[in-house]
Parts: sequence; C-alpha cells; structure tokens
Amino acid sequence: MKREERRPPDNSHATMPLGEGVLYPATPRWNLERPFLNGHVLHQEIFNQHLVGNKGVPSDTFSMTDLNRAIGIYAPSVQELLLIDDLLYAMVGIEGKYISFQKGKSKENTWNFQIDPSMDLSLQESAKRLLPLCECYSIVSQFTESRSHFEYGLVNHALAAAFRAILQDYHALVAQLEHQFRLGRLALQGLWFYCQPMMGAMQALTNVVLKASEGSLSGAAILNLLENQAAAIAGDSAARSLLQKLSQFASAPYLGILERWVYEGVIDDPYGEFFIDENKALQKESLSQDLNATYWQQRYSLKHELPGFLSNAAETILTTGKYLNAMRECGHNAKISFSDDMKGLGSGTRHYLERINVAYNFASAELLDLITQKFDLMGRLRSVKHYFLVDQGDLLVHFMDIAKDELAKRPSTISVEKLQSLLDLALRTSIAASDPYNEDLLCNVEKVSLLKQLENLQKMGFGGFAKTQKSEDANSLELSSGQTTSGIITGLETFTLDYKVQWPLTLVISRKALMKYQLIFRLLFHCKHVERQLCGTWQVHQATRGLRFIGTSMPRSYVLCQRMLHFTQTFVHYLTFEVIEPNWHVMHGKLQAVKSIDEVIYQHDYFLDKCLKECVLLWPQIFKKVEKLKAICLQYATATQWLIPSMSAPDLNSSDSAGVKSSNSGTSNRFTRNRYNDDQARTAFNSSDEATFRTTISKIGEEFDKELNKLLLLLTTESQTDPYLAHLAHGLYGVGKDI
Amino acid sequence: MPREIITLQVGQCGNQIGMEFWKQLCLEHGISKEGILEDFATQGGDRKDVFFYQADDEHYIPRALLLDLEPRVINSIQNSEYKNLYNHENIFVADHGGGAGNNWASGYYQGEQVEEDIMDMIDREADGSDSLEGFVLCHSIAGGTGSGMGSYLLEALNDRYSKKLVQTYSVFPNQMETSDVVVQPYNSLLTLKRLTMNADCVVVLDNTALNRIAVDRLHLPNPTFAQTNSLVSTVMSASTTTLRYPGYMNNDLVGLVASLIPTPRCHFLMTGYTPLTVERQANAIRKTTVLDVMRRLLQAKNIMVSSYARTKEASQAKYISILNIIQGEVDPTQVHKSLQRIRERKLANFIEWGPASIQVALSRKSPYVQTAHRVSGLMLASHTSIRHLFSKCINQYEKLRKKQAFLDNYRKFPMFADNDLTEFDESREIVQSLVDEYKACESADYIKWGMEDRSKTLAGDGTLDISVAGS
Repeated sequence: MKREERRPPDNSHATMPLGEGVLYPATPRWNLERPFLNGHVLHQEIFNQHLVGNKGVPSDTFSMTDLNRAIGIYAPSVQELLLIDDLLYAMVGIEGKYISFQKGKSKENTWNFQIDPSMDLSLQESAKRLLPLCECYSIVSQFTESRSHFEYGLVNHALAAAFRAILQDYHALVAQLEHQFRLGRLALQGLWFYCQPMMGAMQALTNVVLKASEGSLSGAAILNLLENQAAAIAGDSAARSLLQKLSQFASAPYLGILERWVYEGVIDDPYGEFFIDENKALQKESLSQDLNATYWQQRYSLKHELPGFLSNAAETILTTGKYLNAMRECGHNAKISFSDDMKGLGSGTRHYLERINVAYNFASAELLDLITQKFDLMGRLRSVKHYFLVDQGDLLVHFMDIAKDELAKRPSTISVEKLQSLLDLALRTSIAASDPYNEDLLCNVEKVSLLKQLENLQKMGFGGFAKTQKSEDANSLELSSGQTTSGIITGLETFTLDYKVQWPLTLVISRKALMKYQLIFRLLFHCKHVERQLCGTWQVHQATRGLRFIGTSMPRSYVLCQRMLHFTQTFVHYLTFEVIEPNWHVMHGKLQAVKSIDEVIYQHDYFLDKCLKECVLLWPQIFKKVEKLKAICLQYATATQWLIPSMSAPDLNSSDSAGVKSSNSGTSNRFTRNRYNDDQARTAFNSSDEATFRTTISKIGEEFDKELNKLLLLLTTESQTDPYLAHLAHGLYGVGKDI
Repeated sequence: MPREIITLQVGQCGNQIGMEFWKQLCLEHGISKEGILEDFATQGGDRKDVFFYQADDEHYIPRALLLDLEPRVINSIQNSEYKNLYNHENIFVADHGGGAGNNWASGYYQGEQVEEDIMDMIDREADGSDSLEGFVLCHSIAGGTGSGMGSYLLEALNDRYSKKLVQTYSVFPNQMETSDVVVQPYNSLLTLKRLTMNADCVVVLDNTALNRIAVDRLHLPNPTFAQTNSLVSTVMSASTTTLRYPGYMNNDLVGLVASLIPTPRCHFLMTGYTPLTVERQANAIRKTTVLDVMRRLLQAKNIMVSSYARTKEASQAKYISILNIIQGEVDPTQVHKSLQRIRERKLANFIEWGPASIQVALSRKSPYVQTAHRVSGLMLASHTSIRHLFSKCINQYEKLRKKQAFLDNYRKFPMFADNDLTEFDESREIVQSLVDEYKACESADYIKWGMEDRSKTLAGDGTLDISVAGS
C-alpha cells in the first residue's frame, strides 16, 4: 500500500509536461487506492507477489499455479476448455490458472503473459496468438484509467473516454464469447476467429498508448500523435478510420477551447493544453506607461507544440482571440452570429478553417470598427496631430505669448501646474477649443534638452535610434557636453506636451508612439521659439526705419535677421509641409483601407518612424548642426534686441515724451512729430555703439554662415542615400550664400 | 482670443473696400449679414475671433472702425443689408459732413481735430482684445480723407501703439484715366511719406493694374468700382487666411510679414492672385495645380501693381521676397516639386544679398464658399520694380509743384500756413530715398549701400540737413 500511495505523485510527475503554473484538481485518493478499479492491479499484483514471494526467480510466478495441477495432465480437449476459460479471463486482464503475468524485462510498464508450459504445444501456439490481445487490453485499459485523472488534461480525458467506449465494446465481445463458451459453442479456433477484428484495433490503440505514455504526452501532442499514427497506417483503412475517430473524440474538448477563444476571446484552458499562452503579468495599463510595453505583442503568444491540423491557421487564431479579448477589455460584447448549423467547429478540416476565417474577419472588423467608430481613432490621431505636430499653430502662438515668462525659467523652477493652467487657457481661446479631446492634453517639463534625450535614447539602443556608429557616438557625446555647459537650458528647451490616452487607443497611441510625437513636438516648439525671437528682432528693426541707417551696419543686421528667419521658416516648412503633412497624408489614406487593428498600428508606427527620420532627429550630426544654428539665431536675437534699442534709446525717450507732451497742443504737434524722425536721424548712432554692434553682428553672421555651410555640406552628402534630405538642402540653398 | 487685428477703414475708398472685405469674411466664416452664425457653419476649424468678436447676443461684430468725413459711403453701408453687422459706436462721420475736398491737408487737419474721438474708439477696441496684434488700415492715397486723415492716423497709431504692427491696404490711383482729383500727386506724395515712415507693411493695390486685370483677364470692358473692389477683397481675405485658418505656419501677422520685409522701409508689397473670377461671372474653368498657380503668380499680367519700368530697368528688377499662400486641396507633395521646377526654370529673379527662395504657406479654404477651382493662390511679394510707381508719383508731383499749381488749397491749413512747404520737400525727400533704397536692393552689395559714400551723403546731400536745420 505504501508504494501505491507514493505512486500517483510519481506518476503525475513523470507525465505532467504542462505542470508549471497550471492548476488542476487533485485526483481523489479513493480513485488511486483501488487498484481493481483502476487497473493497477494488473501489474501491482505481480509486484506484490514479488515482494511477498521469492524474488529474482522468474519461474516463481508459477508457484501459484503449482498449487493447482499442471494443465498437462489433462487430455488436450479438456486442456482446450481450460485454456479458453483462462484466455477469456486474460482478455479482461485477470490472471488465469494457466496463464500468468510476467513483468517485462525492458520497461517497467510492460508485461508478458506466460502460459503453462505443460500445455499441449498446439494449444500453446494457438493461445500465443491470442495473448497479444490480452496484453493490448491491459495496456489500453491501464492507460484509460490513469489518463482519466485530472492532471492529464482534457484531451487525455477525452481520449480515455473514447478508449473506454471501445473497451466497452471489447468487454461486450468478451462477455458474448464467454456466453458462447458456457453454451459450449466456443472452441479455441472460434475464439481466435471472433477476436480477429478486435486484434488490429487493439494493436493500433496499443501503439498509440505506448507512444503517448512514453512521451507523457498531453494536449496538442496527443492530437498530433493520433494524426501521425493515422497517417502512418494509412494502408489499414479500418485502423485508420478508428484512429481518426479517436482523434476526433480527443480533439473535441480542444476544439471547445478553440471555439471559446475564437468566438469569445476567452482562454478556458484549466490544464494548459491550448496552444495559446496568456501572460497575465502584462497589463494593458502598461501601454500608457511603459516605453517598452509589449502587452499587445506578448500578452498572448503561441506555444511550441501546435496541433498539426491548426498550424497553418495558428496565427489567425491567435489574433482572432486577441481582438475579441481586446473588445471584451473595452466592455464591448461582440457576439458572432452564426446560423445554427454553422455553430461548433465540428468536423472536417476545411470546415473549421472556414469558420476560423469567418471568426477572424468578424473579430478584426468588429474591433477595428469599435476603435475607429466608438473610440474615434481618427479623431484622436487628428487631435494628437493638432497638438504635437502643431498643425494648428495658433495654440502655440497664444501659449507662448502668455507663458513666455514661465518658460524662460530653469526647468527645475518651473511650475508645471502653472504651465498647465496657461495651456488650458490657451486651449480655450484658440481654435483647439473646438477639439472635443482638448481636455486630454497635458504639459510636461523634461529634465534634459532634446539633443540629450535623443542621445540617451540612442544609448539605450531604442528603436531606430541605434543607427550611429561608435565613433560618431563618442563624437556626439563630446559635442553635447560642450553644448550643455555653454547654453543654459530653460523651459523653452524642455517644454513638452503629454496626452492622456485611454485603452484601447493605447494600442495605437502607446507610450512609445507618444514619445515619438513628443520628440517631434519639442523640435517644432523650439523652432517656433526661435522664429518668435527673430520676429522680435524684426520688430526692433522696424522701429529703426525712422533712423538714418544708411551707411551704418544696420542693413547688415537686417539681412542677417532675414536670413536667419528664412532659415528657421524654411526648416519648419520642411518639417511640416514636406515631412509631416505628406506622410500624414499617406498614412491617412492607408488607414482608410485597413482591415485590422494590427495594420493600423503598423501604419501609425511607420508614419512616426518615417517622420522622426525625416525630421533629422535620427541624424545626430545633422541635428546637432541645426541645433547649433538655432542657438546662433537666438544669440543674435538676444544681442540685437539688447543693442539696438540701447543705441537709439535716449533719443527715442526724449522725443517720445516731447510728443506726448505736445500731443494736445494742436498745431505744434505735427512739427514735433516731424522732428521726431529728423532728431533721430541726426543722432542715429554714436560711433562706439556702432562699432560694438558691427563687430557683434559680423561675428554672429560669420558663425552662422560657417555652420550653415557645414550643414548644407552634410545634407548634400547624406542626401545621396536619403533623398528627402535633398529637399531640405534645396530649401536652405536660398538662405546661404557663396555656395 | 489672441492676436486680434483691428481694421480702420478711412475715407470713401477705404470704406468701400473695407465693406467688400467684411462681406467676403462673412461669407467665408458662414456669418450672416446680421452677424449671426449660419446654421450650416458648423464645421469649425476657423478662427473668427481674429477679425470679429461676439456681442452679448452671440452675434459677430467686426473689429472695424468706419471713419469718414462725409456721410455718403457710410450711409450707404448703414442702409445696406449689412447695416446690423457693424458696431454703430465704431462709425465715425464728421459732424459737418463736408468731407475733405480731396485735400490731404484738410483730411490731415480734420484728423487732428477729431483725434480724441477716434482714439477713444480705437482704445475701446484695443482694450476689448486679449493680445492685439496690430492694425489694418484701408484707404486710398489719392483723395482727401483716406490720404490725409489716414496719414494722421498712421502717425497717431505709431505714437500710441508703437509695439503693434500697422499694415495698410493702400489704393493707388488709376494713372490711365484723367482723375477728377487734380491734386492727386500732392496727396499721394504726402501719404507715401507716412506709409514709408509709419507703417510696417503696405499692400499696394494699384487701381491701374486692377483695371487692367479686370479688362484683360476678366474681360470686363468697363469694370465698375464694385468689380475692382471685389478683386481687392479677394486679395485682402486671401492674405489673411493663414491667420483665420490656422495651419502649421504663419499663424500670426508678424511671422507672415517679417520674412517678406527684410529692410524696414522696403515694406511695400505687391500682390497677385490666380485664378481670378468676379462674382456672377462664368469663367472657363481651368485645371489648377500647385505648379500652375505658382507659375501664374509670377506672371506680370497677374500682378496687381502696374510696372512703369523701362525695359532695361525691368530686367534689373528683382524679387526681394515672395510668399505664396496656396489655398485649397493641395497635395503637399506637389509643393516641393513645383518649387523645384520654378527654381530650375529660374522663373523668379531674386536679389543677390538675401535669402532667395519662394516661401509657401498652405492654407485651408473656407468650406462655405464654393469655388470652381481646386487650388487658388495669392502671392505677396516685395519687388524692386515697385520703385517706379513711386518715381512716377514724384515726377507727377514735380510737374505740379513747378507750376506751383493748386498750392493755395493747402496753404489754408496750419501745416502749410505761411507758405511753409517744407512738408512737401521732406516728403519728396523721403520717397526719393525709398526709391533709392529699392534701387540699391537691386545691386548685390546692398549691405554696403551708403557705406563708402556715407561722408558724401552727409556732406553733399544738403536737402535733408537743411530741412533739419530749418525746422
């Protein structure tokens, strides 16, 4: 009994390939403890005898039969009767008087029948022909019993049930034979004859059973085994159809699981047999938080062992369920409505493949519809585009107007709450007020500059950022460290937007996608800032039109300002009208024709990656040059806005106050106003101011030219491989000179 | 409501084109003649608040001041179906209703007299806006009110709102027909001085060219004012589309004009528009592509400023800057190709000392206005040939001045009292310097302009020094 108790765990251990993580109810103890019920008796008894009796001597098995008289003492006709009786017992796995079990030498789970050697030789021979059937029976029935335990899984249970049905027939046969025998109508030859049909079947089953228990197979493996066996014995049509039938039975629960998966998106798989694995650790919330979220890719995955008949459709099945699952997560109950005869994955490969395809088409259409209609994907994308790709720039104009003081601070001292409230104000007063999703826009202040962030991403080897060679990397690090020390980072360099995205839109607009949007936004935002500053200088210039600027270095400054403005605007024009808008156009067109959400995700990611690349964000060298040029522009804007008013300030004030004073005194007013210009003209610039101004302007101008030429050179060389850079180069050629 | 723009319509012509402009804006924004948003105007995507604000009853009111010294045009507006559109507090008609008698000095003087009233109105409008971007002045430079009072307002705005942009749409008189205003050259010259010194950006609307376009391009034998004015309103509305339909770029007036005007005085812009149609005119509908539109915009016949340049001078004339505002369903990929083509063909001759490329702004079209053409384009350009227009003004002025003709009318007013005509001389001087600067722009070394002969300018160019000394 001790051994019996220990056996099942051992057994389960050996036969549980799926064991990990799969919970199943324990097989009740009573089921294990009754060897006569579960077939263990067939060989347990042998062991018991072995344990009790003398060990090691094979002939000892006959010690029991020795108690009876050896069969040889009877006349052959009597021997035959005794033999038939014994055989009928043996056929249902019970030791007879003259037929005894012996454990197989090769393996633990096999055993042989021994026939009393004293038997008539011809009878012995006839009996031996029947003995395999007995062996088969004991193997099959033992398998049937053991595989009915919970831990073997539904497929094994179904297979066992099918076996049991066959064994039922077998038992009936044996009973009928016994009946015949009792009536005295059964001879050994008759027995042999009647058993003939069963022999092949049982042999086939035994082959299956041996292979199955050898590999401790379960689930899809069992189905595959059945398929393969059926194919292997294609010549034996009876056995083949038997195996096919078995495989049909065995796959029934499997198809049940499959059905729930492809119709409802639920994995109802208590024993972990299904070929789709669910990784519960991946939460859908991770999509909106984790940069590297793999929820969609890895939450459900295929296992290695696929049932052969489904292997072609496996991917389809996986995505079908995934889609349905996503819909359930959205609280949307999608039901496929099939006509009744279509229900159930029934029989015939072609049939259920068709069904799977129908289910797949339904699921993907339904999910796509759900996301595009109910969750208004295009509206969302458009909204994200308004903000991150600045396609309605009035928001930024207004926001930069009202937030310029806050943004000019160091990132650490900026109050994000204040920025957020200013952003909300700007949202309400700009055209974005008509965007239904404007409340989801958030603002954020990063810690590092865009350049630095790109480098960090590059170091992490993130996505497409791992393009550069090592030498360039080292180079870039050097440069950037130089730059960060030289330039003070303010909110203008680090301001970025954020956007609240809800499941299931996180599938498309994931954290990673948002980050890409943010990168583009930061670039655009800073360009707009530079443009504003240059416009500020332009306005300062405008104020000088009353001055006699002829012969001073003012024209030089005008031209430089113009070129910088042109550079900035051309660059923004390139980013927006030549990169973002055409690519968006293409994506928009493709999104109208997509069939599934995976295509949407693909197109969207493709769009973003292409934009990132063409916005030169993935070209560290070019991007650095652009940053440098922008820095020079800002430097120029600051310098001119400081220098020019100071050069003419005293005059402006005096004539201004004069103008105000006399503004009410009627006629003299106009003279003041006329003189206003002339006074300034006369004392336009004193020479020392003029000299400072001249040196500053020419220094900045030279640097600008130098950097611009370098950039153009870079663009020209790189444009050989990437033609879109030529677009930028063409635009910028007009800005540069002497090229 | 950021970046608002206040429109001042001064004088007969100013009010007429202003009227057309508001009609056009109302159409494009789906605002009815009473200022109520039409039921169909639900598509959004436009910003009405740049040019309009909403009254308590939600109806839209133009940020416009209607100013005139005689009541005729304003009365006709107040009797038209648009009478309820405007804020009646913003309408100013001189009490005496006598007009300015086509006399710049009269207009200027009267402007001075009523400054307080008008400034009150302007201040009220300015206070009603969140962050005023600037003013737009519509006027003609030939008559009395638009030129004289307009000039006064330009100076006043410059004083009071020195940080705000001032853009004008200035109608230049038709040179082809004998004008009923004989003193037009005087008026023009005096106004040009203010346009040079006190405006940030002047969109030149040349009646000569507008008439020519109406006759040649639109095949109207005798174009009426209403028809030429509809051309003007088309240009005015098109030049503000990027403000009213926000896009990637050019969402504020500064950004729009800054790149067009490199040097502060050369801020006279000419315009071109294609394809042109006039109301109720069934034109043959052409296929419009971005390239087509851009190419046509560069053709002289579509430019709304006539060129008086002689051939030799014309060949030296150069574009200082070009901005094409393309409206309609544009495939963004076409833009680059078109620019490339134009660059290859060298269709536009640019100055050598500055950035030389056509800037393009793409803008949406109003969904409420049906047009036959898919794409339309407006060109705003600064071109050195515009100096010939000013030269012509100076020439005409000098003819009159030599004869001392009609000066008595001016001497009646304080500015020219006691036969003090320095204002004329000064204006001539400034306009001449403007012409010179445009000429300098044609040469490659504009930057060095005046450098070498600075001493010469200061010493030899006595006129200005004298005027300074004399005042």
